[in-house]
Amino acid sequence: MSLIQLENLTRHYGARRGVERISLSVAEGVLFGFLGPNGAGKTTTIRVMLGFLRPGGGAARIFGLDCWRESKAIKRDLGYLPGDLHLPSWMNGLAALSIYGAVRRRDLIQPGRQLAERFDLDLRVKVRDMSRGMRQKLGLILALAHSPRLLVLDEPTNSLDPLIQQSLHEYLRHLAAKGHTVFFSSHSLGEVEQLCERVAIVRDGELVADESLAALREKAGYEVSIRWAEPSLALGLAPPEFLKLTRREGAVWQGTLQGPAHRLVDYLAGKAVLELTIGRPDLESLFRRFYQREKGGAR
Amino acid sequence: MNRGLLLRAFRESWPATLVIGLVLMGVETLLAFVLPMFSAQLTQEWLQIDLVRGIVQAMLGTEIAGRIGPQMFQSIPWVHPVVLALLWAHAAISCTRVPAGEVDRGTIDVLLSLPVSRWELFLSETTVWLFSAAVVLLAGLAGNLLGSLALPAAQRPEVGRLLIVLSNLFCLYAAVGGFAWLVSSLSERRGRAMTTVFLVLLALFLLNYLAPFWQPLEKVVFLNPLHYHRPIGILASGAWPWRDLGILLGAGASMWLGAGVVFAIRDLRTV
Repeated sequence: MSLIQLENLTRHYGARRGVERISLSVAEGVLFGFLGPNGAGKTTTIRVMLGFLRPGGGAARIFGLDCWRESKAIKRDLGYLPGDLHLPSWMNGLAALSIYGAVRRRDLIQPGRQLAERFDLDLRVKVRDMSRGMRQKLGLILALAHSPRLLVLDEPTNSLDPLIQQSLHEYLRHLAAKGHTVFFSSHSLGEVEQLCERVAIVRDGELVADESLAALREKAGYEVSIRWAEPSLALGLAPPEFLKLTRREGAVWQGTLQGPAHRLVDYLAGKAVLELTIGRPDLESLFRRFYQREKGGAR
Repeated sequence: MNRGLLLRAFRESWPATLVIGLVLMGVETLLAFVLPMFSAQLTQEWLQIDLVRGIVQAMLGTEIAGRIGPQMFQSIPWVHPVVLALLWAHAAISCTRVPAGEVDRGTIDVLLSLPVSRWELFLSETTVWLFSAAVVLLAGLAGNLLGSLALPAAQRPEVGRLLIVLSNLFCLYAAVGGFAWLVSSLSERRGRAMTTVFLVLLALFLLNYLAPFWQPLEKVVFLNPLHYHRPIGILASGAWPWRDLGILLGAGASMWLGAGVVFAIRDLRTV
């Protein structure tokens, strides 16, 4: 069942484009990465999902409910951490849990204490005396304490130290294993690569990919480096159609292999090759190449 | 009504309510005590000057010839610029907190990620605002009564009539508050919203003072909420000014309702 369903979602800010015809579907129990550079439209999409912005076109549904008209019902089972978190300065963690618990008509103090222990946060410190990282931890605790069915996290690891990031990743994996869904927005490619099973990539307000990481890697191919015995070989030979060269210098070829590796091995059989490296591209290079292809065509 | 929202709104608004309530109480005590004490001197010297007389008439919203007496001096604490400025400051502070204040400081995102509708939030804030307004006005009444204690019985206002004046002042406050809600709903910056409210109120205040001296302004004086707050007549007759109360409440409620509708349908962007 799709927990989040966006259909041709469009939202402009006057003449400026926010997002344009974004369609995606997120299933239950998935760690979903929502990736894109700053200003790509991630936060606009999330604000439409949270009912802060009315869609200009298309539809946004969570739990089968309309994100604008039925926002209150959606938020009963949703936890949200904004990208630019602000909390009232007079609050401390306990007051925040007590007040937001009263709003949700649930006791959040006990689960909040457990999360504070996990994230190493003193709940007695007032927000005005907290560092940015501490405030981020409190925001996470408030988003997680009611154990929501869907978590929407906008750049959640900003200002968190690596140990807490690790702890958060473990906790999110644990939640996903229990059937909770995590919508994880980030511009940090490495983080999404570590954590998420499925990724949507947004760029200039448009969705340019929505696939599993494995499928994206397949699509992007393998990073290949070949060192020939002689520079003349490297210059004289024509590369096969399944190998797209990105660098051809001296005796070295570098490029991307499309399709299975055995085709390249067959091609090189009997040729004077000193060194062959076939790697799996990381998400960062995949991401970069993906955009190059979308915007300017492959090289 | 959501208890958590009420708790949050109360926690956010009590410092301003406490400070303004205490200052208003002090000002009312002082005015209620001092003005009758110097009534003879004021009548014989100051009120003989045309300009001062004009200003007092503008403040009281009525011709004072033949009305100079204890009731005139009992009225002044309820129309004095400092008293009005304190009440308007409270209205502007309280009514621009949501949504302008919350959007401005970025806390609206976490607040509206909770399972509450915008109308619920608006109603909770309104409830706390009205409660805090009542507290501030009652503090003013307490100050007035306290200041009057030192006066001879003949110079003290009747409590029943003071309560009618207070009701009238509450309606004036509600009209100003309704306007502040509307400006807040249309704004994303609290500072800008408060400045707008103060500038409009200042213009209305000046209108009130200039109208007696410049005939064309008399035609638009009905737009001024101060025109519907005339305690001297209430203290003299003890009659309820139903028309004035209705106009002020109607204007306040219309603008408040408009503010709620705007807030319910507007986009909430980060600023």
